[in-house]
Amino acid sequence: MWKRLLLIRGAELAALALLAAIPLMVDNSYVLGLLTLLAIYGILLIGLDVTVGYLGQVNLAHAAFLGLGAYAAGLSVAHFDFGMLAALAMALGVGVLFGTLLAFPALRLEGPQFALATLSFSALSATTLNEWEGLTLGAQGLQVTRPAFLGMTLDAPGFFWLCLLLLALVWLAMRNLLSSQWGRAFEALRDSPIATDAMGVGTYRHKVAGFALCSGLGGLAGGLYAFNFQYLQPQSFGWDLMVILLLGVVLGGRKSLWGALVGASLIALLPNLLSNRELFQVISAIGLLVALAAGGQGLLKKTTRPFQALAPVVAMGILMAGSLIVENTEDWRKAIFALMLFSVVVGLPEGLMGFAARFLTGLFHIDPPPLPAPASLDAVLPKRVVDGGALLELRGLERYFGGVKAVDGVSMTVRAGEIHGLIGPNGSGKSTAVNVISGLYVPTGGDILLRGKPLPAGSLFKVARTGVARTFQNLQLFGELSALDNVMVALKDVYRSPLPLVLLGFAKGEEKRAGAAALALLELVGLQAQARTRARDLTYGDQRFLEIARALARKPELLILDEPAAGLAHPDVTKLTEIIKRIHERGISIILIEHHMDVISELCSVVTVLDGGRIIAAGTAEQVKRDPKVIEAYLGMSDDSADAAAPALAG
Amino acid sequence: MYTLLIVQLAVSGALMGMVYALIAYGFQLTFATSKSINFGQGELVMLSALFSLTLIDSGLPYWLVVPGGMLFGVILGLFVERAAVRLSLEQKGEGWILLTIILGLLGFSAAENIWGRDDRPFPTPIPSDPLHFFGIDVTPLELSVAIGVLTVMGLVELFKRKTLLGKAFEAVSADRDAAQLMGISATRTIQLSYGLSGLVAAMAGILVAPITTVGPTMASVLILKAFSVAVVAGLDSGFGVVLIGLFLGALESLTSFYLGSGWREAPGLVLLILALAVRPNGVFGKASIRKV
Amino acid sequence: MKKTMLAALTMSLFTLQAYAADTVKIALTGPFTGGSAPMGVSMRDGAKLAIDEINRAGGIQVGTQKMKIEVIERDDEAKNERGALIAQELASMNDLAGVIGTVNTGVCLAGDKYFQEKGITKIITPAAGSASMTQWSKAGVKDLSIFRFSADDGIQAAMVVEEAISRKLTKVAIIHDSTNYGVSGRDDLLNQIKLQGNKLQVVATEKFNIGDKDMTAQLLKAKLGGAQAILIWGIGPELAAVSNGMAKLSLKAPLIGGWTLSMSNFIDNAGKNGNGTLMPQTFIEDPITPKARNFIDSYHKAYGVDRIPSPMSAAEGYDAVYVFAAAVKQAKSTDTHKIKDALEDLREPVKGVIATWKQPYAKWDPANEQTHEAFRRNQVVMGMVQDGRVAFANKADRQRLMKGAGK
Repeated sequence: MWKRLLLIRGAELAALALLAAIPLMVDNSYVLGLLTLLAIYGILLIGLDVTVGYLGQVNLAHAAFLGLGAYAAGLSVAHFDFGMLAALAMALGVGVLFGTLLAFPALRLEGPQFALATLSFSALSATTLNEWEGLTLGAQGLQVTRPAFLGMTLDAPGFFWLCLLLLALVWLAMRNLLSSQWGRAFEALRDSPIATDAMGVGTYRHKVAGFALCSGLGGLAGGLYAFNFQYLQPQSFGWDLMVILLLGVVLGGRKSLWGALVGASLIALLPNLLSNRELFQVISAIGLLVALAAGGQGLLKKTTRPFQALAPVVAMGILMAGSLIVENTEDWRKAIFALMLFSVVVGLPEGLMGFAARFLTGLFHIDPPPLPAPASLDAVLPKRVVDGGALLELRGLERYFGGVKAVDGVSMTVRAGEIHGLIGPNGSGKSTAVNVISGLYVPTGGDILLRGKPLPAGSLFKVARTGVARTFQNLQLFGELSALDNVMVALKDVYRSPLPLVLLGFAKGEEKRAGAAALALLELVGLQAQARTRARDLTYGDQRFLEIARALARKPELLILDEPAAGLAHPDVTKLTEIIKRIHERGISIILIEHHMDVISELCSVVTVLDGGRIIAAGTAEQVKRDPKVIEAYLGMSDDSADAAAPALAG
Repeated sequence: MYTLLIVQLAVSGALMGMVYALIAYGFQLTFATSKSINFGQGELVMLSALFSLTLIDSGLPYWLVVPGGMLFGVILGLFVERAAVRLSLEQKGEGWILLTIILGLLGFSAAENIWGRDDRPFPTPIPSDPLHFFGIDVTPLELSVAIGVLTVMGLVELFKRKTLLGKAFEAVSADRDAAQLMGISATRTIQLSYGLSGLVAAMAGILVAPITTVGPTMASVLILKAFSVAVVAGLDSGFGVVLIGLFLGALESLTSFYLGSGWREAPGLVLLILALAVRPNGVFGKASIRKV
Repeated sequence: MKKTMLAALTMSLFTLQAYAADTVKIALTGPFTGGSAPMGVSMRDGAKLAIDEINRAGGIQVGTQKMKIEVIERDDEAKNERGALIAQELASMNDLAGVIGTVNTGVCLAGDKYFQEKGITKIITPAAGSASMTQWSKAGVKDLSIFRFSADDGIQAAMVVEEAISRKLTKVAIIHDSTNYGVSGRDDLLNQIKLQGNKLQVVATEKFNIGDKDMTAQLLKAKLGGAQAILIWGIGPELAAVSNGMAKLSLKAPLIGGWTLSMSNFIDNAGKNGNGTLMPQTFIEDPITPKARNFIDSYHKAYGVDRIPSPMSAAEGYDAVYVFAAAVKQAKSTDTHKIKDALEDLREPVKGVIATWKQPYAKWDPANEQTHEAFRRNQVVMGMVQDGRVAFANKADRQRLMKGAGK
């Protein structure tokens, strides 16, 4: 514990002290210029990492935000005579404002569409900066004077220290933020937007917040950029710079503050390293060796595919050969960047820092931070008093897809405290019904009432907030998060600290409480030993159990389990039955969709049977099994399904 | 006179819009099969045009240069698929966005050093003296672009509908998993789509080169507009790109006349962002149902 | 990671000190990659040609010893940020004799202040934007170490406007690119039209972006306004697009503009549509003097081309090196401050390929930027595109220069 704190915090302090001390030791304006740029890029890349690393979206607008921030700072000094701090606040504010504006249309977008929207935004902002000559002086460029900082005129080292101070503050604030619920929510959003909404976390709010944060830091860095170079032109903030910034984040390592700093140093220094041919030959030789070592190791241990091992070696080989043949390496700068980036993206997806971090934690035997003791289950999931009243009522529920009536007038009632089975052959509308109830689809017609009040329609997020939780037939776990984080991110009624307190690091207490509560839920499904395992590395069965634990973190009144036993081996099915019984004991009502008739028979007091989008039977498990319509529905299907269904019905 | 002017502007712009449409069509081909696009497609256009120029300089007749250039485009397309796309698709990640950008960068740098940084004219047998239709000036060169674009798109569509390979293409586009269960190799089909996309890009390069001249930066402006066209039309909308391409081209031309030429790109970009916000799948795209 | 960075830093510090002390270190900066590269590369190669000649002759006579010139090349990629960093790097070298180069006015504005702070002598060539010198007069700098060796846009704009007036035109359209270069060119042109008595009516002022190929809208506006000439300020291929667009719209008016119209990427791409285009030139690739023939031939031979991408940039780079070398010789020192003083009072004429330079500079006077400008109106001639080459537009100029060289 102490060792971890000492090493990690120690390294941060040492790096900071070293950077701060360089101007005292070396009197060289060039070194100072590079260091200042490094600090500015550091802030910029930490911001970019929020979208590229945590939100997992390729953001091509960051250079534009740098430009907007730079102009905001420069113009506020020129027109309003702002001081340094006010101008920087202005730059930050402009970044946040435009980031929020852009986030709205970009909200619904993923992957390439998101990248394109941001690309267009940056082209648009470049055009505006260039054309609005009355304000920005357009292509002529804007001369910026460096204003006083709290009445002091800053010389070059002074300005560097200011940049470094801001970098340190941003570093601290982001560390606090990203290790809190916010950071988890960002990552959850990346791995499964649907589950993020279904767990009541909210994609909307977090995507906007993440993007605004990222852009705000871009703007802040822009302010510093303006006061560093003191001359701005719109064309500086274009595609070329954007590629370099992506290079920094990817090369340094995503989802890592250290990665951003390493990336910043690389992009600040790389052009200079390339201009020296011998140095470049040494670098490319090292690159080739690393690629060979990493590739060879990966192939031997069979952790990488042959392409992943070979491609970086080929790329680095070309680089090495090129460094020997080409006389003027500067001419090939872009190709050199490309080869290096290619090797890292393919061969070291975690970036240099991710790779180094793994190596260093192994070297120093740094243990992960200890887990808190699990809370008592009664505190986390207090027993509900069951009154047997109508909990969920469906009245004439309909959902059509074009001409297909997937749900066609379903009316049923789920009473508090029951386990309500929902069965039916494939395509009978069970999953659609559940998706309509949980808010994924808007109903075409009919009403859904929870305790007599209409349930919000067509919003996973709003439904999740009313106390209905669900699991997914096709798992929707947050794959990159640990099992513990998967549960923690969904926890209800724990995170109360407002954003400023989180940034200042005053949310540690509630983090501990959340961890303890989440562990209790993991214990309930028997996963306490795997708390630190990444969700995607769990066995299939454990992933199913984790989904249930995560849904329980919503402290639901009604839990919808969508085919929880699908694909489970027999011992796991038994375990599942036990888990469901334990959940039921806590007074939670359950809708259980299942194909395993024995599970249904064992658990459900009431069973509703759907076929063709309509209810064909309802009653106890024994009653529906004997219902001729049910038998026909199952046996009337294609042969192999009927074969499968027949023994199930017989059981 | 005034209406004539507007028509002249619209026609000139729209003919350039056809080129955006063709490049956008290349995006659609790969998006259909793999839900991925080549962010370095502009460099593919440019490299193919430069290669074709080398063929012309070496004395090859024009009718041999065109297939030669297209073959080169196919090879580049296949290379992009192998080096940048396949691995990330296998890992179900979005690494291809970065990797295709990276390959584009590599191609750009290579072009700069192999062919030089200067723009050069691209000789063509098609004359560039203007023809007059009802008071509007159009060059045969511009017309050849429009005809060439429609021909290439028509041929590719025909290929997709009439040949067995083309049907496999359609099957994978419709449902990758189902097609794979039917014994169609998704990997092969994606490869095919990248090859075709490279071919289309090469054709776009050869068609537009006599107008824009050839050099490393020739496609950097085109490509942004092609993105807009592809996304506004919808990345799976087939001939929708032609309509949007014509529209965007004309809009640009009219904007630069009425709003000032510096703003020429702005309406297209605003349109793109709005289109994405309102209809993420494009004007002609199909809305997809979220399944869980 | 921190360590690699530090190592790199210290390494770069070491390499600075590793240079031998018995050379004259001159830095050549400019865009050697990207869109402005033809100018940057021509300038660099022209300068290196001069440096090779000097070194082959044993070097520069500095006091009692002959010293060779050592070149430090830096590619600023036409980016202001890179330019500023490079300026910081060069300014922190203790034994640098001087800097020659820069194509983009923006890069001058971003970087030159670092040279000025340390008093490092820099000769700007071929960047022509007025702002790169006026920034110093506006700031009222008393002692300036920045010189220019190219015909500034003010001179060029004056010539362009004169040309239009002398052709008895009354209506012109101004078309320019949206970069710093084009926009300041526009302002210079408008300013000159006012200075020369408002004899020209500007019927349209239009812009285009780098990479634009369809100029229909801009040209239609010019045509509608009845423009009799297009005054143009921009770079390279887009100029050709304007020229080709004019042919398409049958807009038969002369195209007159900045010196960049002499670049091969305009001439080649405009083809026959480019014939008759006029632009001010300081050097025309026409072997009218033995010195010019020698320069053109050795450039072709050294770089394996049959035409210089940007002859003016090459010639200016070449002459700038000779002027600088003369200053080193006169200063009898490689100290950059002494070289600056020598440049301000260059006693011996320097035979260059553009002209014979007699006292090109004088002591800096913030009220008069001409003190640090080498080119005067009479060193600039009108060039005209003729069948793929730039020729003298006026025979008289050709004769005058041939004679001038004979003296």
